[in-house]
Formats: sequence, structure tokens, C-alpha cells
Amino acid sequence: MTTERIPVYCYQCVAGPDLLKVVVRDGIAVGVEPNSDFAEIHPACGKVCVRAYALIQKLYNPNRIKTPMRRTNPKKARTEDPGWVEISWDEALDLLTERLKGIRAKGLLDESGYPRLAATFGSGGIAPAYLGTFAAFLAAWGPVDQGIGSGQGVKCYHSEHLYGEFWHRAFTVAADVPRCDYVLSFGYNGDASGGVTGVFRHAEARVRGLTWVQIEPHLSITGAGAARWVPIRPKTDAAVLLALLHVILHETDWRRTCDVPFLESMTNSPYLVGPHGYYLRDPESGKPLVWDLDRDRPVPFDDPRLTSPALEGKFLAAGVEVGADNERWSVAEAVRPAFSLLLHHVLPYTPEWAETVADVPAATIRRMAREYLEHANVGGTIEVEGTTLPHRPVAVLLGKTVTNGWGGYECCWARTVMSALVGALEVPGGILGTTVRLNRPAVNRLDSVKPGPDGFMAQPLNPTSREKWQGQPHIRNAYRTLVPLAGDSPWSAALGPAHLPWLFMDSPPEHWPAPTLPDVWIIYRTNPAISNWETGRIEADLERFPFIAAFAYTQDETNWYADLLLPEATDLESLQLYRIGGTKYIEQYWDHMGFALRQPVTAPPYDTRDITDIATELARRCGLSKEYIAAVNRGAGVGVALRGEGYDYALDPAAAPDAPEIWDRVCRAATRSLTAGKEERDLEWFKTHGAFFVPFSEKRYYLHAAMKAHGLRYELPYQERIKRMGAELANRLHERGITWWDVQLQEYQPLPAWKDFPDIWAKVAVKHGRRPEEFPLWLLTSRSMQYSWGANVSLPILADVARHVMGHFGLMLNRGTAKRLGIEEGDLVEIESPTGRTRGHAILREGVRPDVAVALQQFGHWATPVARDFDMPSLNQVAAMDLDLTDATGSGADVVKVAVRRAESPHPTQTMPLTSSPLPCGERQGEGRERMKGEGGVRRASR
Amino acid sequence: MRWGMVIDLKRCVGCQTCTIACKQEHGLPAETFWRFVADCEVGEYPNVRRLFLPMQCMHCANPPCVPVCPTGASRQRSDGIVFVDYAQCVGCGYCALACPYRARHLIHEAQWYFPGGPTPSEAATAEPERRGVMTKCTFCLNRVDAGLADGLKPGEDAAATPMCSVACIANAIYFGDLDDPESRVSRLRKDRTGVQLLPECGTDPSVYYLTD
Repeated sequence: MTTERIPVYCYQCVAGPDLLKVVVRDGIAVGVEPNSDFAEIHPACGKVCVRAYALIQKLYNPNRIKTPMRRTNPKKARTEDPGWVEISWDEALDLLTERLKGIRAKGLLDESGYPRLAATFGSGGIAPAYLGTFAAFLAAWGPVDQGIGSGQGVKCYHSEHLYGEFWHRAFTVAADVPRCDYVLSFGYNGDASGGVTGVFRHAEARVRGLTWVQIEPHLSITGAGAARWVPIRPKTDAAVLLALLHVILHETDWRRTCDVPFLESMTNSPYLVGPHGYYLRDPESGKPLVWDLDRDRPVPFDDPRLTSPALEGKFLAAGVEVGADNERWSVAEAVRPAFSLLLHHVLPYTPEWAETVADVPAATIRRMAREYLEHANVGGTIEVEGTTLPHRPVAVLLGKTVTNGWGGYECCWARTVMSALVGALEVPGGILGTTVRLNRPAVNRLDSVKPGPDGFMAQPLNPTSREKWQGQPHIRNAYRTLVPLAGDSPWSAALGPAHLPWLFMDSPPEHWPAPTLPDVWIIYRTNPAISNWETGRIEADLERFPFIAAFAYTQDETNWYADLLLPEATDLESLQLYRIGGTKYIEQYWDHMGFALRQPVTAPPYDTRDITDIATELARRCGLSKEYIAAVNRGAGVGVALRGEGYDYALDPAAAPDAPEIWDRVCRAATRSLTAGKEERDLEWFKTHGAFFVPFSEKRYYLHAAMKAHGLRYELPYQERIKRMGAELANRLHERGITWWDVQLQEYQPLPAWKDFPDIWAKVAVKHGRRPEEFPLWLLTSRSMQYSWGANVSLPILADVARHVMGHFGLMLNRGTAKRLGIEEGDLVEIESPTGRTRGHAILREGVRPDVAVALQQFGHWATPVARDFDMPSLNQVAAMDLDLTDATGSGADVVKVAVRRAESPHPTQTMPLTSSPLPCGERQGEGRERMKGEGGVRRASR
Repeated sequence: MRWGMVIDLKRCVGCQTCTIACKQEHGLPAETFWRFVADCEVGEYPNVRRLFLPMQCMHCANPPCVPVCPTGASRQRSDGIVFVDYAQCVGCGYCALACPYRARHLIHEAQWYFPGGPTPSEAATAEPERRGVMTKCTFCLNRVDAGLADGLKPGEDAAATPMCSVACIANAIYFGDLDDPESRVSRLRKDRTGVQLLPECGTDPSVYYLTD
């Protein structure tokens, strides 16, 4: 018997990648182990989470798509069997190439100016770790619409991504947990979604004595480990955060409790604001003015002699204000510093007021504010690798539904201002960004800090000026047109309002391009018919897509509508080198950075193909080999340019390299790039060793030094630039007669105020001719570590172990509420929203607010093997896709007002939205369940 | 020498990584768990706590499952590990009834995750001798014994340590010699007052829980 242990990485969630070894016995993969070779380098000692262990079953799953398949039934509907027939890879690529060549013959853009080729990649930012060189193929192609969403606008931390990156290069915001002592977590569920590193660090910190307060409507996995749970009414987090600011600024002596030097020198707190809401500027230099208390006069913010800028008070000053579209006002009157406006702004938000809104006792809010200040250690320092830095061991974290949709801006702003008040922004112990996605270089946050206007960082905003605004959307989600903060990086398409293409497909708004469908839509690890809102509507649209080529693992609800299924080699079958370590997503900040290899661990059991080889072959067939190789050489898809200082591994443009040759060159270039050309490792070396690392300084976690070095300030608390871009965007849209985005334009406030966010959801009922009181409960969702991101719902071993975690396979309800509704444990209940209806089995809990119901993750499958036997309700089935629920960043939140009642039918029923046809392939209820027993799987957990 | 575990409930997040790692290490069929993490709620809204409690064989010093075994298949080693000799077990279930921790599992027949038969990995890891007999957590005695034979130290060297402990992503599961006062498990048990489950049963479990 021979046993090998083959190193690979797992990136099945955005909190990776992590390192593991696959145990292969006599050529059969039989197990997964942590990769202890990197125990000293990996922040969680080389461990991997529950999903990685299921990779073995993922490899051998007999329900996989085992060879390319072609649709024979031209009719597309849930009730129409696709009529799949097996074809060879040659035939499959011929079929796709024929379509692609057809596009090139017609022109890459259609009559609406949209790309005829669209591609959607799911899994919340992890697809690139499995996509091989496919991105290089797309780069070679030309314009591709990558903005047809799979649910990211409603599923990710959308507001945090955009505003976080704007304020402190924090596409994702993390607490510096190893150096933090106190966390206020508004629904952040890092013990379920923060990856191995997050779980490991949180556990270490809890034992060390970190106090974690969890504020959320239901007691989550993360809440379980918290010192205290504070139940809060959904969508009212902004009220509590504003009240926390009120307590800090009006119930304590902020001059003593806050970090005044930080506010004076590293924020816009002293900038004078004129009567029109814009900075008062020096007429000659155009620089914002501050009031110098020493000289008793206004001076530019960067005056070298400025030592005592005023933070509060009213000062008679002269200058100019510059508003939208360069409108200017000469001002000579009493003006206030931005900080003074902040003080005034939060004055009404007393804890007593917040209690009435959020159902959080005023005393609890005061206690949180007091503890936050007590732990803030204002004035304290810490040594990090020989450098003295401020130490502010307090953090405010935000979770899903708090950081996206209406209220997301207000919460993100208030959280970041709370950090700024005590100087806990981008310093040890405080909050820090771990990722940049809109700025460059993406691999180095500190280098992305560049001086911009008014003493702040430069920002890659989409222009809103009359001359530069892009009024004609270039892709269907129109991020350049509607969302200035989304920027225009390769990631921006996925960060725009990605549900707008679906929303506008049936009924485009006024003065907007006709909603054309892409001639070819390529989808990869994505299932919007499950993961988007209003899934029935998505399916109705999918019926009309002319050609869908789906990289497919199993049959699922979206590829049911596909024309071509391409079973690419999955995690343990294909080859790819991927960047690892440094600072990245969620809580991935390491003291090393490098590259890790994913490689085939055994012969593939089915007729699958490495996606890099698919990309190379597609490029050849489309006549794009030269452009494709050039893109690979530039680093597209492979993460590192093949030609750099002191090395040149560039591929010959005339070559048709196979995957091993490409990745061998990538391995060599990657190691050279990491070591300033000194060291080289080839593919064979990586196959044995798994990963290559170089040290990464912990000082690089914190933006502080880079900001200091450039003499820059954080653009907080006052949002002059946001106010201006909103006003300009309003001008542009109104010039085109577009008024349907007016509500979104109201988000562009310089100091965001509380709005009745819960009422936005309540009004959905009225819009659909119902009364809000008919839907008294809030339906929420929550992440499950077993299922989040990995699209592993078809693996029965995960269902097997997930049965032990509360909430899987049912709808969680407060026990008292259930009693009032006559619902008992395990009862089949109907969940109705103004736009849909679904069913599930009741799970009664105490750790759920009485006005809340919780459905984990996103299930509701009807085509995916194993998962379609879960009988799980999904929020997505009853969530309305509605412009009214879309905020200015183009995101929504996973909350729905619903009614829950005991279902009359005693037997489990396939869940469905009102707008969907009943069951696949003419099945009657119950038949699907019987068939599932022929596909394997685990029965619903006993209740 | 008495092998034991200390499980830190302050660290555990109920992720079931130990559950799946155990299943994989031992090739357990669907719906059989030698260990799992119970997800519990205590109290009433809003004064409620949620906690995760890993459950497994406690490898009791006074194991009630051993004396009730009519064939002598259930036995205890000198190092404290309680195990089942499959060759002698007749699957009568007395031991399962005697165990207050519900830690014994009768595997009636081969049960694969997919109905078409075992996947290649299931076929490669299946242990036919377990059919029709009582099974339970073994403290991964194969790893422990092989590790000791290789000069490794269980609880410190991963290859000699139970897989649940190796896999735990929160570092919540510690393994070692409870008779060695200098072992990590002994120190943790002493410093943080480890508690046993159902002490009133008089079983003297070798698994201790840290709660504060």
C-alpha cells in the first residue's frame, strides 16, 4: 500500500485560502489533513475548516456532470426537461466556438451598446482561485459584460466594500483581533464566515480576555461565544450606532475621552464648512480652510505653522465654497468646523430615542459606549517590530444586512467615525482594512495610498462631471453610470448594482437603453436562480437567454436553463498557483506572503478538463491565441506577470501551451517576483512543497504609517466629496430626464442621518396591495460554515454533519411567537411575503427575537441533487427584487417582512415562489423526494 | 498513564470540523458519529445563552459499558482507552444502554452516502468488520499507538494525536496523559478547573470540559 500526502489549497470561501494535504492511498484520495508544514506560517496553524474535508466527496460525487452535455430541448422552463445528451469535449468546444465566432462576426456590442458576450462568476470573489487562465481568455476577447449578478449586491458587505475602500482602503474591514480587547459586533458572524483564521483568532482572544458584545436579532454562532448578546430590531443598527456617537460626544467630555490630536491632524474634523455644505476654501489655492486658534484666523489645512486647529465653535471667515459642477459661492459669514457639525448632528440621537427605534435599552447603549471608551486606551502605544504605534484595542464590526442595503451607509459611517474618535482607525488593536479591490496595486494596501485632493487619499471614482460622466452604460448593471464609488477596476462590474440587469430585463426604466440579453452567457460556479432575490423571476428571465454555456459541477437550478454543460476539473483535479497571505479579505492578515499551489491529487474520475486547457483551446479556436498568450504574459488570471525585472518566462505568442507549462512559468515568475529575482521555484518544486513564502511585516497591516508618510487625512467625519458627487450625479441623471434613481440620490449626505429604514421594507406590502400589518415578522438569513460560499449543497457528508447545528433544515422561530401562532416544533409552516410564499419546518428557539424568523443560507433547490431533498425555505424565494429596496451603492439587504403560519398541508412540499411554475419535468409533489433517494443523500435532520 | 482530553468550551464554535474529520479518519458511514458537537440553548428569551458541547466517548475510568458486555468485547486498556473488540462483539447493545453519554453506535449494515454503492474513497476506507457490531470513539488508538511506536508524543505530535484534536480550528481539543501532572491536559484541567459530564454517574470520565 502506498500513501502520499499531496499539498493543495482550499479557497472555498472568501476567508481563504488555507492549506491542506490530501491523503492518497493507492491512487485513491481518502482524506484531508491540516498542512502542518506551515503551522508556523499560517495564522491558524495550517488548519482547514469542515468544508475542506468534504473535498474528497466532491471529487468522487457520482451525481457530477461527468462529460460535456448538450441541450436537445429548445424549450426552456422549469417544467421542460433539458434533454441532455452527452457529447465529446471536441463537440462541446465546437458548439461554443461557433457561437462566439458568430458574435465576432456581428460585432462585440449589440444595438444597446452592451457586450454580446457576458460572463458571471459566483462564489463571492473566490472564483479567480479556480478559474485558471480563463480571465486571460476574457481579456483577449474584448468587452465582456461581467455585471449580470448572481446575488452579490444582496449577499455581500456591499456598503462596507465601497465606503470602506473610500475611507481607509478597507474593501473588507476587520478587527485587529490579536491586539484588540473590546469588540462591538453588529451582526458580524465571523465564527461562521470568518474562515479558519477568524475562528482561531477569536478563540485565542476569548481565552485571553477579549470582551465581545454581539448586537443582532438572533443569537448566531458568533453570538454564542460573545460575552453578551444584545437583541436588536432588524435594520435599526444605525440608530444604536448614532446613539453611541451621541453618548461619546455629548455625555462624556470628548476633549478627554477622544483622541483629539488624531482628530485634529488625521481627519477633516477641523475643516470649516460653509453654509452650502461644502468646505470653505482659500480663494487662491482652493484648499479647505481650518480655523487656527493661535492666530485667530482661517488658514489652509496644510499650513505648516498650524498647531491649534479649532474643532468646535463658530468663526467669522471668508472664502469660497465649490459645489457640484464647479458652482462657486463667495462666503463671508460665521462658519463651523466639520467636527462642530458632527456634534450638532448627533445631538438628537439620544439612547432613549434609540431605545424606541431599536428596542435596545438606553442603559445598554450607555454601557457599550462607556466600555468602548474605557478600553480605547487613548494615548497608549505599542511596539510592532521595533516601531512605536498607537494602540487602540477597540473595534466596531458590522455584519450582513448591516453593511448592505438601506442603512448600510449610515452604519458604515457611524462605525468608522467611532473608530476615528478614539484614533482606532488603521492602528494596532483597532479596525483595519484587509483588502483593496478598487484601488491599485491590489496586493499592497499601503502602496495604494496616494495623495489626492484636499489632503485626502486619491480615489478612483467614476466621474460625475458634465464632461466625463458616462451616461451610456457600457454593461447592463451600469456601475460607471450610477455608482461613482464603485470605481472602474476589474472588480467594479461585480460591485455595481448587479441585480439591475435582472430588474430591468422585463421593464426598463425611462430613458434607459433597451434591455437586451447577451448572445452568449458563460457562467461559472454561480447559481443565481438560487442566490439572487426573487428567484422565480430570475428563472422566468433565464428561459429567454439565447445561449448559456455553464461550467457545471452538477445539474443545478440555473444550468437547468443552459444549452451546454462543461464539466471543468474541480478543486482536487486541476492546476493553479494562487497568491496567499499578506493581507486579504475578512481576517486574513499574515506575517508571511507567498503563493500556494492547487494540483491534481489523483487521476480525475470523470471526463473533466482543466479550465486552463479549456481557455487555451477556446482562444485557439476563436483565433485569439496571440491576444490570449499576451494576456497570460501580462498576468491576467495567473496573478503575476511572466516578465519582470531580472526574469522573463513569457510564453511564445505562437505557442499553444498546456496547463502544466503555463503554471510552471507562473511558479517561476511568482517566486522571482517575491524575492526580487533572487529565488526561483518551478512547478515540480511546488508540487512537493505546496507553497512558497517570504516574510510580510506586520507594520503593513496598518495604513497609519503610509498616511503619515504622505501627510494625509482620513476623509472623516464630513463627506463633502460624497455630497458633491451625489449632487452632480443628480444633475446628470435629471439632464437625461431620469428620476427613478432620485431616492438613491438622497443617500449622498455629508453627515448621514437616521431614516426610518424598517419602514422601507414595510412599504413593500403597500406597493403590492397589501397591508404592512399582515407581515409582522422579519425574515432574516444567516451564514452556515458548512455551506457558505462553497456551493457544496450536493455533498451529503456536509448535510450529515450540519444536522448538529441549529437551523439547518428548517425555519428558526422564537418559541413564544410560535406558541402564539399555534406552531409546534417540527410543524410545517408557510412563510408569506408580499411577493412570494415558501414553506419549511419550524425550529423553535429562545435565541431569536419574537419578531424575527431566520432561514439559514440560501436553499430552496429543486434541481441540484441532494439539496433538492432538504425541504429548506429560502429567503431569496420571497424577497422582492425592487428598486425601492436598492440603495445608492446598488445593494440591498437580506431582510423581508413576512407572515408565518402553520401550513395546512401535513406533508413537506417543494418550496416555490408565487411566480414560478410548479415542479420540474412535470413531477407531482413527492415524486422528487422519491427520486432523490436514488441520488443519495441524507434525510432531513431529526427535530 | 491515562489518556484523556480537555475540551475548551470557550473556544468551541460548533463548526463540526472535528465531526467530519473523525468520520473521515475512521471511514464512518452516513449518519454515524463517534463524536459531534451539540448546539444548545440555555435560558429564556432574552436571557439566553447558546453553547457548543462536543460529545463523544468519555473513556471513563469506571466505564459502565464494560461490565455489562456479555462477551467481553468491550474492554479497557491499561492506558484508559475503552474499546470494542469487533471479533468478539455480537451487537447486543447492552453497552449502549449502559452508557450515560450515548456514545456507542451500532452499525447494522454498510451505508453509503450515495445509493449506487460506495465511492472510491468510501470503498477504500470502509471497515467491513464493523458491520453488526458496536462502535465508538477509540481516542484514535491506532494513531496513538503508531505514534508511540515511532517515538512521537501523543497530544504534541499531530501524527500521534486523535484526529479531532488535530483538525479543530479553534484549538479547543487537547489530548494527553492525565496522570502526568506536567502534561498540557493536566495543567489546563487544574488551572481552569475542568469539569466532567454527569459526575453523579460515578464514571469518572477522561474527558474534561473548560467552561470559563
